[in-house]
Amino acid sequence: MKYVIVGNGIAGISAAEAVRQLDPSGHMTLIGDETALPYSRPMISMVLDGSTPLEKLPIRSPGIYDDLNIETRLGNRISEIDAGRREVVIEGGKRVPFDRLLIATGADARPVEVPGTDLKNIYTMRTEAHVRHIIQTLPTVRNPLVLGGGLVGFKAAYGLLKRGLKPTMLITSPYPLSMQVDEVAGKMILDELVRHGLTVRVGISVKAFEGSKMVEGALLSDDSALPCDLVIAGKGVVPSLSFVPQDRISVGQGIFVDEHMETSLKGVFAAGDVAEHFDIARKTRWMNAIWPEAAMQGRVAGMNMAGRNVSYTGSLSRNVMRIFDLDLMTMGLANPKADSEYDVLNAHGFRNNLYRKLVFRGNVLVGAVLVNGIEQGGLLLALIQNETPISISRKKLLEPGFNFRQIMN
Amino acid sequence: MKEVTVHPERCVGCMQCMIACATAHSQTRQVLTALMETPLPKSRVHVGAGLYNEGFPNRCRHCNPAPCMVACLAGAILRDPERDTVLVNPDKCINCAGCAMACPYGVIRFHEDSTAPPDKTVAVKCDNCDQRQAEGLIPACVEVCKSGALTFEESTDALKRKTDEVARSVSRGAEEMSLSPAFSLLTAAKRAQLSL
Repeated sequence: MKYVIVGNGIAGISAAEAVRQLDPSGHMTLIGDETALPYSRPMISMVLDGSTPLEKLPIRSPGIYDDLNIETRLGNRISEIDAGRREVVIEGGKRVPFDRLLIATGADARPVEVPGTDLKNIYTMRTEAHVRHIIQTLPTVRNPLVLGGGLVGFKAAYGLLKRGLKPTMLITSPYPLSMQVDEVAGKMILDELVRHGLTVRVGISVKAFEGSKMVEGALLSDDSALPCDLVIAGKGVVPSLSFVPQDRISVGQGIFVDEHMETSLKGVFAAGDVAEHFDIARKTRWMNAIWPEAAMQGRVAGMNMAGRNVSYTGSLSRNVMRIFDLDLMTMGLANPKADSEYDVLNAHGFRNNLYRKLVFRGNVLVGAVLVNGIEQGGLLLALIQNETPISISRKKLLEPGFNFRQIMN
Repeated sequence: MKEVTVHPERCVGCMQCMIACATAHSQTRQVLTALMETPLPKSRVHVGAGLYNEGFPNRCRHCNPAPCMVACLAGAILRDPERDTVLVNPDKCINCAGCAMACPYGVIRFHEDSTAPPDKTVAVKCDNCDQRQAEGLIPACVEVCKSGALTFEESTDALKRKTDEVARSVSRGAEEMSLSPAFSLLTAAKRAQLSL
């Protein structure tokens, strides 16, 4: 059996490990653009803020490829999947045949599409290489600008603050993390950031960048100008799937996969940020480009590639972050449109800065937002994932004393 | 291999397991001196109150595969195959709470610990008392439990005993299974209170 895995990230490496567990002798090739050892992508922001050195990013030992007996082709992306001949084509023309293929190519940072982005010192933050380049610019930077109030924008701004800089953050939405949280939690986060010296401007975006060689300023949507000498853009990600033959493999936002992580082309699987799976809470196809999903999906894909029939019922969006003294956890459908289909419960303890929100569809929990007191969050996540009918009083789930015992019988 | 088994129907909620656990994971391993240590030792087993205020010693199940291990961004959670124990490496832990989000039992806490670098908040959870076991002792929570809610035994033995109990309970003329007397009393009292 010839296995080919495209992608050197957590989905790809989790799949390789799963395949090897079940098939010790099959030939495995791993193709990847990034040449570094598999590393923790979410931790690159900790390199930016100075709390973690680059050497601590790898999540596997240098001997991993030998241990798993994998042939590696690192340093290039693939340009084509030849579905008829069952081969992948690496940029430059080299062809690699496969019996089972995993597409775990992940996603790229969404480029900012305004005039002037070819100027120097305008970055996205997606890879360890990006962060290395950003850090090199820091000694000369005075006015950093962060675009986007999402997770990446957030971590970039936090990192720059920790480095002693005073970044300005521009958010198109009325509050940060609008994709993850509701207005109450969003405002709590905003207050926390402002309290720590971040300048945040909401409801505004960039129209163009100006400068001769380096970026020197940004023209904003309200026609005002803002001087800046470093830009980090966090405007989301786009799945890397330009090489996918869409007449053979169904693609929506990402590559469609079934419960075995298999695409519409038999023997070809997809996992991680490039895959579009079914979302348990939303009851529809959805992209959940997050680390734990990528790890799980890679593992399930690997087991199925090696011939074990394992199904994965669906993915779920979730995130947890600590912002100075504020802990935030969100999961599932945290911010549903006002709709009679959903019941929303809130609890807000201002004294302890506690906030909890639960979203129900019928008697099933489908989403939650927790600010502080997040230790029991995993319990709620399990209730959402397993679609467990909630038989106890819903108010119990909101209370700080909620624990496993209460849902045991 | 022996494992800790929880028998929730026997727990009286006395929380002595918590004190024993915190002491076992202190630097001095004596309860009086442990109280004066910095950082203050904390328990890895958590007695939570149920709907009728009945207790339950909630501790890490050392799942396999462990959701916390899959979710860990830093690769800080590993399995010790010798005792089939899931362990957190405090040097690698980045305190991101990804494991708390993944743990379906809610047994991971975040605080300073004597096993972690000074002034560093890390994820802390049950380690099956690996240090005590290496010294030939049984886990501290089991040693101190007076009501039989925590036992340390071969899981096959525990399963067999439970199967037998269930089998007996459905036999014709079976007596009602006896719970710990204290627990039966407490539960009866609590339920009576609630119905008033």
